[in-house]
Amino acid sequence: MKTAHHHHNWEPVIGLEIHAELNTRSKLFSSAPNHFGDEPNRNITEVCTGMPGALPVLNKEAVRKAVQFGLAVGARVATFSQFDRKSYFYPDSPRNFQITQYAHPIILGGSVMVVVGDEEKAFPINRAHLEDDAGMLKHFSDFATVDYNRAGVPLLEIVSEPCMHTAKEAALYAMAVKAILDYIDASDCNMQEGSLRIDVNVSVRKKGEAGFRNKIEIKNMNSFSNLEKAVAHEITRQISAYEQYPDKDPQDVIQQSTYRWDPDKGQTVLMRRKEYADDYRYFPEPDLLPLILTPEYIEEIRKTLPELPYEREKRYISKLQLGPQQAFTLVSDKQIAAYFEEALQDCTYAKTLANWIIVEFPGRLKELGKTLPETPIQPSHIASLVNMIETGIISGKIAKSVADDMVARMTAPNNLPLDPGAIVEANPEYLPITNRETILPIVEAVVAANAQSVADFIAGRDRALAFLVGQVMKQTKGSASPQVVNELLMECIKKK
Amino acid sequence: MATIDKATIKRLAKLCRIACSEEQEDALLHDMQKIIGYVEQLSEINTDAIVPCNYVASTLSQTPFRADVPGQTLSRDEFLKNAPAHIGGMIRVPPVLRQE
Amino acid sequence: MTDIHTLTALQVHNAFKQGKLSASEIVAASLARITQHDPKIKAFLRVFTERAGKNARMLDEKRASGAPLGKLAGIPIALKDNINLKGEITTCGSKILEHFQAPFNATASRLLEQEDAIIIGKTNCDEFAMGSSTEHSAFQKTSNPWNLSCTPGGSSGGSAAAVAARLCPLTLGSDTGGSIRQPASLCGIVGFKPTYGRVSRYGLVAFGSSLDQIGPLAATVEDIAMVMEVLGRHCEHDSTSLPKGPDDLLSKLNAPIKGMKIGVPWEFLENLQPELLRSFQASLDMYKDLGATLVPVDLSCLKYAIAVYYIIATAEASTNLSRFDGIRYGLRSKRATTLDEIYDYSRQEGFGDEVKRRIMLGTFVLSAGYQEAYYRKAQKVRAHIIQKYNEAFSHCAVIATPTSPFPAFQIGSITDPLEMYLADIYTIGNNLAGIPGISIPSGFTQDMKPIGLQLSAPELSEGLLLQAAHALQQVTSYHTAIPKEFL
Repeated sequence: MKTAHHHHNWEPVIGLEIHAELNTRSKLFSSAPNHFGDEPNRNITEVCTGMPGALPVLNKEAVRKAVQFGLAVGARVATFSQFDRKSYFYPDSPRNFQITQYAHPIILGGSVMVVVGDEEKAFPINRAHLEDDAGMLKHFSDFATVDYNRAGVPLLEIVSEPCMHTAKEAALYAMAVKAILDYIDASDCNMQEGSLRIDVNVSVRKKGEAGFRNKIEIKNMNSFSNLEKAVAHEITRQISAYEQYPDKDPQDVIQQSTYRWDPDKGQTVLMRRKEYADDYRYFPEPDLLPLILTPEYIEEIRKTLPELPYEREKRYISKLQLGPQQAFTLVSDKQIAAYFEEALQDCTYAKTLANWIIVEFPGRLKELGKTLPETPIQPSHIASLVNMIETGIISGKIAKSVADDMVARMTAPNNLPLDPGAIVEANPEYLPITNRETILPIVEAVVAANAQSVADFIAGRDRALAFLVGQVMKQTKGSASPQVVNELLMECIKKK
Repeated sequence: MATIDKATIKRLAKLCRIACSEEQEDALLHDMQKIIGYVEQLSEINTDAIVPCNYVASTLSQTPFRADVPGQTLSRDEFLKNAPAHIGGMIRVPPVLRQE
Repeated sequence: MTDIHTLTALQVHNAFKQGKLSASEIVAASLARITQHDPKIKAFLRVFTERAGKNARMLDEKRASGAPLGKLAGIPIALKDNINLKGEITTCGSKILEHFQAPFNATASRLLEQEDAIIIGKTNCDEFAMGSSTEHSAFQKTSNPWNLSCTPGGSSGGSAAAVAARLCPLTLGSDTGGSIRQPASLCGIVGFKPTYGRVSRYGLVAFGSSLDQIGPLAATVEDIAMVMEVLGRHCEHDSTSLPKGPDDLLSKLNAPIKGMKIGVPWEFLENLQPELLRSFQASLDMYKDLGATLVPVDLSCLKYAIAVYYIIATAEASTNLSRFDGIRYGLRSKRATTLDEIYDYSRQEGFGDEVKRRIMLGTFVLSAGYQEAYYRKAQKVRAHIIQKYNEAFSHCAVIATPTSPFPAFQIGSITDPLEMYLADIYTIGNNLAGIPGISIPSGFTQDMKPIGLQLSAPELSEGLLLQAAHALQQVTSYHTAIPKEFL
């Protein structure tokens, strides 16, 4: 596989279709319970199993959540929308037609704000609509089974414009949409359980080329990182294919098909080609009347919107001086943001706190497969750690060791306290050496060995001091108190 | 008028999932041609200015809502009573080509 | 004691309430008549001997205890076999549902039982209500009690025949293009299709979702009114159910119709058989004698009605019947080894020819490239037809036509599907427009085949329609006629 440098002639075009299961108590058209993980075929009625004589009746709460989402992304909420039948035969479909919204969806337009690098970008949404989910098919060696618990669960399908151009953008967009759904409590947003499902459409074209080339649909990515990997892999695969056959008709080089991401192989795997476009024969659902919403109703729903991720992000940037990337990452996970805000109650060093919560600890928890809020480590613990760093009680380097210990204690059987204060107490060598007699000889030695730097500093170059401090810290393996080192250096240099 | 030929019948049979013998296809072809021929008369009437009727009762204008309260379910036993094949509380079918 | 079977449902109900007849006696009489006579007409697919007997006994105990009795107490009623009765088999006249046990009650069934009616069996019909002769039932052919070599009409042929032979006084059918009214006409009884949405479709196996209605069949308009008071109300399980409570119908039946304007679409009736035309005119003369005036109306657009209907109804049906796939219930082909074969073979074996025709037609008119020219076009012409009815009703209160362009026909005599479709020419308009219609017995042909008169009225004018129909029954006695063989 060629490396990425040849990509600059090509422009990837990426669009996402996100299916979010709405966390209503009952299903979209059936009054069966909407609940994951129960024994098969316990949450069913005649409606969601396609019994003869059954009829659909629309769940009001599903509509409310859809409207909330539309308002949260600044979309137009349609006062008139309609349901359609979409016909296709499959065992997980109780009627062999899905009730969806094809011609007149409830949500039109809108956009999602994402921070890519340090740049804020708005990714436009094409539409979002309500439809009912299919049941669950399980594949065994020589048979398959169908569980209709999930059949009829309300889905909000959110379709972006084909407006993303990198795998990173695609993953960030998906995270941002998830954050919105999470904040308005519309969905459990659990990619492992399937309450958030993402299909990506990827195509590439020559930079400046008009129109779109054939696109590949990728399904079955159960995490944002897998999504990013899958898209990146697919982009490279398509570019390589086009470059391998420059004289062939592009339509034949990449044919419209569906791929599945295989995380073990680290590649996309062909599921099926689209030999012919499916004829879904959409037509208006005669068992349901139009969905009519009044402007008053829409306004009432707008009033119930909580602080949204983008608003919170702006607040973090302006009030807490966090960088845009930091703020975006923090707000993108509702639980993490809540954790951060709780820690803020005990700590005012927002930027440092943010770094420990979204970079340092997640790195240490990756192997355990847990997020920080899922662990016994409390926000107050992180706050305490950051306070110790910022007030100089321990150095940044030592803090990393403390953090390692906190994580280790989490999984150890002896139930030692996780509080960083307790850890430092139990490890006195974590405290910086403040004994002037111990440090002075090292300071004098460094000053003697770096006459030029000393001269630079006296001449006004402050950076030279930092260099000298660094040299002392190196000699003390980072355990000297930076404050004392500074003082001793200044004293020593003054003597010169 | 739309061309209805054997290929049309085969395509439709695939779409609506009904296997047809040669004889059945021939019979369907004959009947379909006749019936489609009959409904062609609708082209006599100019409907350019007419909005299609999707919903007939004029006293109904919008779909009613249902409160989000889980109701009485169909018991699994009742559901499986009519099932041609089931295993472990689930409907059983032959192996399926994965679609997702 | 008068033969119970000659009593109307209202009379049976009153006799029961007054203690003159017990529910057990009434039900026993009905079951006995079925045992004796149904082999000749084959109206019933299933008879609930035990269930009905048990419910009758319980009802007798209820009466004895002094508890209040329902509005239909003591009346034996049969249901067309596309209406769900919980725990009982619903076949829709199809092999694909031959052993299917309904897991829930239709609202109509529940309402009847709530009012202490006793459901005694399920009646034969064209498969999935698709047909005008009941010949397309997968199980048996029903005979017309007036002429056993003739069909009873369809698709609710079993329900019509059961009443015509007085096996029970009241039945329910379903009407999508005339399937209650046409068999009622051919069997010399009253059949009523309510305003679309007036009676819940919940538990009625769907054929044409925007056209279907459940309705009653009986010998008298009074009986129809009595049942409609129970059935005609809002249902929360049906999103197309009208948000209206029940009407008082029975007590208002005798309102005089003097001055009522009756619209007649003469142009549309140009090709009517002379004998039927004469009978139709005789009925109109009777209405004039009652003080009504006749007004010509233009419904020539109805010449397109059959084309419109066979596009819309089949489109809806093609998707409504997709659920019959051998996966969750119903017939699963024994030949099938793969999933695809389950679909393709189960539906090949389970559906009859007429059903397959209609599914295929419906699939065609919805398919890519054709939907605009066929389905959307038909929806537009439907809107046009509704407009024409509205215009017509601005000149009159009800519209009169014959119910059927021909009287009962020999079993097996109509084999061309299109010819059979044309049987619905006078009834289909009501379904397209969603307006109520009633067929009342209005005469006999030379060879003693019943003739029916159809009256139609605007949406939600059930009361007016029943009054107009009742008025004719006050001055005629066709509705009291019982075929000699079944006296």
